[in-house]
Amino acid sequence: MSTNEYDVVIVGAGVSGALIAKQLGLAGKKVLMLESGAGLPANNNDFMQRFYLAQAKVPEVPYTPDLFDPPGSNTLTDPQTQNAARATVLTLDKGSWQDKSKSYMMQQGPLAFGSTYERVAGGTMRHWLGTSLRFVPNDFTTASSYGQMVDWPITYADLEPWYGKAEVEIGVSANKAEQSYLGITFAPDYDYPMPAIPPSLVDDAVAAAVQGMEVDNIALQVVGTPAGRNSQPHHSRPVCAGNTNCIPICPIGAKYDPSITLNAALDTGNVELWPFTVAKQVLVDANNQVSGIEYLQYQTPTGPQTGSGTVTAARYVIAAHAIETPRLLLMSTNGGRFPNGVANRSGMVGKNLMDHPLYLAWALAPKPLYGFRGPLATSGIESLRDGPFRKQRAAFRIEIGNEGWNFSSNDPYTTTIDLINGMNLAGLNPATSPGPAPALWGAPLVNALNNALSRQFRLGFLVEQTPDPANCVTLSPELDHLGLPRPQIRYDLSDYTKAGLLAASETASAIFQRMGAQEYTSSPDPDDPCAFTVDAKHGSKLMKFYGSGHIVGTYRMGSKDDGQSVVDKYQRSWDHPNLFLVGSGVFPTVATGNPTLTIAALALQAATTLLSDLQTS
Amino acid sequence: MTTPQENMDLFVGLSALLTGIDKTKLSPPLDPNNIKQVFYDYANAQDSAALAQLLGIYASCLAQPGITDAMVAKAVFEDSGDTMCYLARAIMLAWYLGSWYAPGDLQAYHANYAAQPPLQALPPLSGPVIAAAAYTQGWAWNIAQAHPMGYSTFTFGYWGKQPPALSAFTGARQ
Repeated sequence: MSTNEYDVVIVGAGVSGALIAKQLGLAGKKVLMLESGAGLPANNNDFMQRFYLAQAKVPEVPYTPDLFDPPGSNTLTDPQTQNAARATVLTLDKGSWQDKSKSYMMQQGPLAFGSTYERVAGGTMRHWLGTSLRFVPNDFTTASSYGQMVDWPITYADLEPWYGKAEVEIGVSANKAEQSYLGITFAPDYDYPMPAIPPSLVDDAVAAAVQGMEVDNIALQVVGTPAGRNSQPHHSRPVCAGNTNCIPICPIGAKYDPSITLNAALDTGNVELWPFTVAKQVLVDANNQVSGIEYLQYQTPTGPQTGSGTVTAARYVIAAHAIETPRLLLMSTNGGRFPNGVANRSGMVGKNLMDHPLYLAWALAPKPLYGFRGPLATSGIESLRDGPFRKQRAAFRIEIGNEGWNFSSNDPYTTTIDLINGMNLAGLNPATSPGPAPALWGAPLVNALNNALSRQFRLGFLVEQTPDPANCVTLSPELDHLGLPRPQIRYDLSDYTKAGLLAASETASAIFQRMGAQEYTSSPDPDDPCAFTVDAKHGSKLMKFYGSGHIVGTYRMGSKDDGQSVVDKYQRSWDHPNLFLVGSGVFPTVATGNPTLTIAALALQAATTLLSDLQTS
Repeated sequence: MTTPQENMDLFVGLSALLTGIDKTKLSPPLDPNNIKQVFYDYANAQDSAALAQLLGIYASCLAQPGITDAMVAKAVFEDSGDTMCYLARAIMLAWYLGSWYAPGDLQAYHANYAAQPPLQALPPLSGPVIAAAAYTQGWAWNIAQAHPMGYSTFTFGYWGKQPPALSAFTGARQ
């Protein structure tokens, strides 16, 4: 089957695809979206049920295809049997990260890539935290400002108007004055759509402790985090009720997710969404124009292929995130005419894979802070996102967690089992006298658990990772159920990034000390695939990082067609003028903020470029 | 021969004693979720003889004049064998976390821990979530003066204020 009734074909129905589709649809352009996974459900009830009944409530668990086979069990589905498999953080342990029957991504090391993504309508942003930070101006100029990494082909000033539009589209709650730090500016007549989300008691305690504290001669300050969640009823969605579940899913829809934009796109009447449709190849004609997208279709996650064809349009957008987009481009050899894949004259497709390696530190406060309440994070320390230290080591932001030791220790599960079953895995049920850890019951159990959980808190440090062409996505000889190569990942951390992680650990300990909090951050298993050593003052230090879910950099933008980038500053392929590659893959650096707002801003900019293209062609 | 109602009364009474949560909270007069029945049925389906034995031990304790909570706990955890000890812990964990950690798994987990004391040496213990409502009514989060993650009954901005007292959650047995 071949169709050519569309102005634009978009591969991927995540936030970038949805934002572009909505803008094009509103302008009367005919758009087809190809989504490799399921389409939009009528409501989130199935997602919520899957979450409630899951033993491991990891980010991916509410979504499809089901992580477990049979559903509700603890046995991971074999990705080899799935038509649109995806990774899960449950395969990051030393026993399964390189097991092809468990891990969809074929991890080559030396370290594990710790982030995952979704293949479902709404995309990975289904389980985003809601953090809607703008990057700081120097994030775009690290080479010229600090002699590190690369500059972006655009500046903060170029992106500023698009940030505002993205904040309106998402519905961001924040205070403009509070967000005016490290050179971030706003248009005079602009304000955020909603007032800021109030801070938590955990935020207040950290804020009080860091008053007067300096790191690298920079004063630390806690500020509210701009959030894509409602502080007021907004666009027919309710105000946040503090379900403490932004990741993996907000049960009431107070947090924005791309299904909102996707529904608006479909409501224009000009946008069509084909679920269960996997793009197989980007076709290129003799004039170097993209001439179609070949696809495969299926009806059930592990069932047979049920259809195939080619769709054509005037313009093409690949919006499949920073691992599936390069995978598709690399698969598109066009019968050998493009042995390295399309849009890849530079050889940079798949290169410079990045994340924010996250350093996690946890402690017990001297008095109750009452975590496990409110959005997962409401404030952070942004002071160390920029400064002269960036000449020597990676910058980071500090996220203050509101979920106790849920992230770090799987609490309340671990401590509850410790107290009832006479164990001490989380560290809060030590033996009070020589002998085993006590097993409690009755009022002493309640009081011990309350004392533990109400005082737990954690800090997360999102460290800027340097781009390195050796960190890359390539094609694995291993195939998925449709016979397509699975993504193969090579990943490591540079000394510059590790130095940032070390500074993060030292900063964490200093903050805990000022709070009078007892630190419980544990030393990792040396065989953990996310463990590494770094040179510290007193010898080598063993540390561990976590993925932040910020998958970035595999088809980066550049200022000129010099073989160092894949797209121009408008996210148009250098090689194929009617092909746009959008999403965080275009980021030349991962920068110091969570990527979503920048992804959205760039998507809105790309939509305008596409519209202009279509109107003049 | 005890009636279903007597069995349930024993089940709730023993659960309240062991969990430290008041009977009126575990079995409120208006009880749309009826979690006690869900837990009872689940435990009964796993090993009805063991559950009957456990409730029988509790019933025998209640028949003793001057019995204290500590004496009941000793009878359950120390005097009646591992099967009773770990079944009681499994029931407590069901109330707290909404999941069923099988008594045998708990016993093996504890034995592994005792043999391998360093922190975080063991992977998390797995156990199926008994029912969606078992999770959303889980007591561990209430004892944190919070709510099960993904099931808030509070309103906007509550996280910036002190929570209600612990006794308001658990029924003031502490």
